[in-house]
Formats: sequence, C-alpha cells, structure tokens
Amino acid sequence: MSEADTHSIKLVADRYLKREVLGEGTYGVVYKAIDTQTGQVVAIKKIRIGQQKEGVNFTALREIKLLKELKDPNIIQLIDAFPHKGNLHLVFEFMESDLEAVIRDRNIVLSPADIKSYIQMTLKGLAFCHKKWVLHRDMKPNNLLIGADGQLKLADFGLARIFGSPDRRFTHQVFARWYRAPELLFGTKQYGSGVDVWAAACIFAELLLRRPFLQGSTDIDQLGKIFTAFGTPKPSQWPDMVFLPDYVEYTYLPAPALRSLFPTASDDCLDLLAKMFTYDPKARISVQQALEHRYFSSIPAPTRPALLPRPPRKGDSLNNRPLDLNANEGPTVLSPPRKSRRVMPQRERLEGHGHQGDKVDDHLYDVRQAASGNTGKSESMPMSVDFSVFGSRPPPRPTLNR
Amino acid sequence: MAANFWASSHYKQLMEQEEVDVVHSPDKEKGLTLDEFKLIKMHMANYIAKLAQSVKVRQRVVATAVTYMRRVYTRKSMSEYDPRLVAPTCLYLASKAEESTVQARLLVFYIKKQYNDEKYRYEIKDILEMEMKILEALNYYLVVYHPYRPLSQLLQDAGMTEMTQLSWGLVNDTYKMDLILIYSPYMIALACIYIATVLKEKDTTAWFEELRVDMNVVKNISMEILDFYDSQKILNEERISAAINKLALKP
Ligand SMILES: Nc1ncnc2c1ncn2[C@@H]1O[C@H](COP(=O)(O)OP(=O)(O)O)[C@@H](O)[C@H]1O
Ligand SMILES: [Mg+2]
Repeated sequence: MSEADTHSIKLVADRYLKREVLGEGTYGVVYKAIDTQTGQVVAIKKIRIGQQKEGVNFTALREIKLLKELKDPNIIQLIDAFPHKGNLHLVFEFMESDLEAVIRDRNIVLSPADIKSYIQMTLKGLAFCHKKWVLHRDMKPNNLLIGADGQLKLADFGLARIFGSPDRRFTHQVFARWYRAPELLFGTKQYGSGVDVWAAACIFAELLLRRPFLQGSTDIDQLGKIFTAFGTPKPSQWPDMVFLPDYVEYTYLPAPALRSLFPTASDDCLDLLAKMFTYDPKARISVQQALEHRYFSSIPAPTRPALLPRPPRKGDSLNNRPLDLNANEGPTVLSPPRKSRRVMPQRERLEGHGHQGDKVDDHLYDVRQAASGNTGKSESMPMSVDFSVFGSRPPPRPTLNR
Repeated sequence: MAANFWASSHYKQLMEQEEVDVVHSPDKEKGLTLDEFKLIKMHMANYIAKLAQSVKVRQRVVATAVTYMRRVYTRKSMSEYDPRLVAPTCLYLASKAEESTVQARLLVFYIKKQYNDEKYRYEIKDILEMEMKILEALNYYLVVYHPYRPLSQLLQDAGMTEMTQLSWGLVNDTYKMDLILIYSPYMIALACIYIATVLKEKDTTAWFEELRVDMNVVKNISMEILDFYDSQKILNEERISAAINKLALKP
C-alpha cells in the first residue's frame, strides 16, 4: 500500500485497515482487518462499552486476562489490544473457518484420519489450558477456529476460568447445553477439568456423526438424552451423583452398545470415546491421558493439518444443519425435583442472561462469603502486623545472621 | 501452583529493584524524591486496603490491586496518573479480574465517605476512563500470583500452622513495599515465615536447609521487610500530604 493510500483511507488506531464484518459476538462485532504495519490479516473484536456503566465488559476482561497467559499453537493468539473511540478492541490472528462449518458442510467427507486430526488438535489446545489451570467452559464446534494452515485453535475464552483454588465454588451455568457434562446438569458447584473433557467428547461424537450428538431441549431433557445414549447411571458407577444439588432420579435404562451409536468407528476410537464419556468426573479420562490413548498412535495416523478438508471460505457453506430431533423416547423423571429448577434461557449459547447469571452467581458467592465472615483465610488474619503484640514497645529488631 | 508461576507473565515481568526505584521525569521536575515516591505508593496501598474493607472483597483482590498500582508506576508518572484516582481504579479492575466485581458507584460512595478532601473525590466516569488507561499501562497483563497460597502450603508442610497468623500479617505488609514486583511470591512467603519464626524464636534452620532455596535471597527480603518496619516509625500524615502536594495535580 502506498503512502498516499494510507492517508486517504481511514485506519483504525492509525494501523488497521477495516474490512468486512465476520460475525456478531456476545459483546460486540468481530471484523476482518489488515495490519498495515505487518501486512497480516487479523480479526478485531470491538467490545462495546458504555450502557451498563460498568466499564470494560467483564466477559471481555476474562478473555484478555487468560489469553495473555496462554500461548500455544492450538489456542487463538491475542495479538494486540487497544482502546479506540472509547471502545476496547482485541486483535486476533485471522481464522478462515471453524469446526462447525466443517461438520455442517455436506460436501466435505471426513475420513477417520481427518477426524483424528481435528480431535487431536482440540485436545492439544485443551491440554495446554488445563496445564495452566484454565477451564475453557465453552467448548463447542463454532468456538474451535481453523486457520489458513489448517491448524485448529481454541477461541472464545469469555467463560473460561482459572481453577487453581480447589475450594472455590463455580457457577454451573456454563457451556451450551448440548455440551454440558452431567455433573453440571445436576447443578454441581465444584467441578474440574472433566467438564471440558465431556464437551470435547461431544465434539468428537459430532465429528463422527456429522450432527450434534445429544440435542436436549431443556436441562432435564439433556440428561434424558445422555441417559438414553449411555444408560441411566447407577450410584455404584457414580457415587457422588445422588448428593448433587439438583439431582433427580430417572427411570432406569440399560446402556445400549456404544457400537450401535457409532457404527463406523474403530475399536480404539470407541474405547477413547467411552472413557471421555465416563459419568463419574473423578473416573473420567483427563485430556493428557486422552492424548496418550492408543487411538492416536494406531493407524491411520492423523491427517496433517494443511491437508485437512475445509469449507472453501468463511460464510460460503451455510447449508442448514440437518434436523435430527433424537426422536426416540428418553427416560422420564421419577421424583419431582427437590427445588424448582433454574429457568434457562432457550438459547444455544449462554449469552446475555447466561453470562449475567454467571457473574451474579459468582459474585453472590463472594458476598455470601464476606457476609458470613469467611472471606477465605484473610478474615481471621491480621491486616497488618501490630508489633505491640510483642510488648508495649516495638520489639527489639531481631538479628538475622546474613 | 508454583510450577505454574514460572511459566506466567508475572514471572517474566519481575524487575530489578533499581528499575522499580525510578522517579519518572515529570515527577522529578516537580521535586518528588525517591523516598516520597515510595511513600505515596505505600499510602495508596493503604488506601486500597481501606476501601476494600468497606466494599468487602477478599484479601487477594487487595493484593492484586496494589500490584497493578505498583506496576503502573513503573511505567507512568504520578503527574499524569493521579494516584488518588489510580488507587481506586486498580481496586475496581482487580475486583473484576479476580471474579468478585465491585460496582464503580459503590466505590465512589465509599471514597466520598472516607475522604472529606476534595482532591480524593472522583466520579464513576473518571474511574471508567482510568480503567482503560490502566489496562493499557499494564499491557493487558492481569494475572498476578501472591504469597498467600505458597505460605499456607509451606506452613502446612512444615507443621507450623501456628505461625499462620503472624506470617499472614507480614505478607499483607509486604504490599506496602515493591517486593511483589521484584521477587517471586514463593520467596516472599519464605521470608515472612523466616521473620515469623525468628520472632517466635523457633529454630527452623534444618527445615530451610531441606527446602534448598537460596537463603541469601530469603534473608535479603527479610531485611528489607524489617527495614521497612523501622522506617515506618518516623511516618506521619504530613509527610504524605507534603509529597502528594508536590505533584500539584488537581487545581
Ligand atoms: N480470530 C477470528 N477469525 C475469524 N473469525 C472470528 C475470529 N474470532 C471470532 N470470529 C467470528 O466472530 C464470531 C464471534 O466470536 P466469538 O469469539 O466466538 O465470540 P462469542 O463470545 O460471541 O461467541 C465467531 O463465531 C466467528 O465467526
Ligand atoms: Mg463463540
């Protein structure tokens, strides 16, 4: 681009040449742009600020905070951030497509090696998050972006959290419903990396079936779909289940053979799938273990990313998702729920209300902790050391032998 | 968690004391000395802690807010970034980053309640504007590690939980200094344990030896903490206001 061009065209923040809109995010528009300093194509997320008088969007802040710590080939790279006209802008590497577009595209045939490659990249990105004590909490095909080189990268960390402190309780209002683990559907507040593993398993199944695997219409229905697929869990299978806050008993259904659900999958593939779909989160396979599973070392080898089939370009493959209502009869709830269930917004994604609910939930917990005088350890701890405890005068300075 | 720290942006951003102890030229031109610079930062750390008590947030949020404030002043001058606005804004930002959001209007309410002084009064819009500038000054790095977790862990492992109270208070006081910008939280925790055990006359030589840490560093940090307590004896409000007034910020 010539000197004259850069002057006549308006650049965002004197640097980025704005192109077409790529998508509408939860908290702002995402548009394509060219970095005139490097020539790199980027995606810029413009975060709306203003209305609520609460400054930088809470969800955006989470995303920034975590992505600044997570640098990995299978995690979207946050290249830059800058304020412009009162709005915060996040600059990401541009990604051509996403896994949902791949799965939906009827012109694409996914070989077993292709599926292995996509799920391996998904698990690699997730393993890096978990190694850094970050839960993604919103794993689903359209948050798995695919670059020009075929690399799959985890994106959309707006719901992600650090789970370092084991005693912290989290909201269970995370994930799009179809990807939600059974412990979340039963209302658990103490969960771990297993929730991401379950969601990854749903994505794995979706790659095999080419349609979302467990499409529940409500939380209760979602559990019904899960139990239809894998049998109603017995307490012996998942001892903690009956103690979960929203636990309700379901009619007993035996587990059908996994093979009947995934007729084309190899034995190794089914074995890994079963381990990822384990009911008891404590017994569920970890992401790292999943990556070490023989499925990934047995033939066929995963397809090299550059050779993976992809839709031609972003937005070109808008074939409608084939309808599959999982019409078969699911199990019914036996006992009435112990308490009225939370009303979930009827949306795929926990947008708006969901996020707010999440925030309120977490915040309420803090307030409750503070009110009960249990602000972690700090409450009973001195704010500062008052040396008068050692006597009326400051204590003689202790001598430290250097 | 420790293994985690060494791969974090926090670790990569650790600085040398000499780099932290730089009075930026706009402040220097106004006659601000290094001692006064440190004094104002300490005063603002106290301010953050006091505000935090009113709005009831965890100690961790306070620690993160103070760290943000100190990081800001390694890059920006106090003349451009009024400490009396930076301090509450850092608390606001830290509360969000640590997942226990405090509303800006609540902060503004308590600021007005605590300070009659006009010069401390800022409105919601000032805080929100400053939030963006602080994010930029921090280069958007928001994850901070603190000595509290290694402290609990170490004391538990050593079977010295009776030292928790004292060493926890010492850790809180380290935020009145720049230690968190210079040393790893693990070493700061060890220094606080060291001081606590020396004060309580508990012999921990063997325990420290087994940890295989650089005792010189632990002792250096301990000395700095004790020096700080010494210097506090000659501290008073007038010196603080005199220092802030030098900046001649709000008309
Ligand atoms: N790096 C990127 N490259 C290309 N498109 C992107 C990129 N990031 C986001 N998008 C597009 O913007 C949409 C919304 O972004 P996302 O981060 O998923 O936000 P949300 O929280 O709203 O889901 C995505 O579905 C995708 O179509
Ligand atoms: Mg998304």
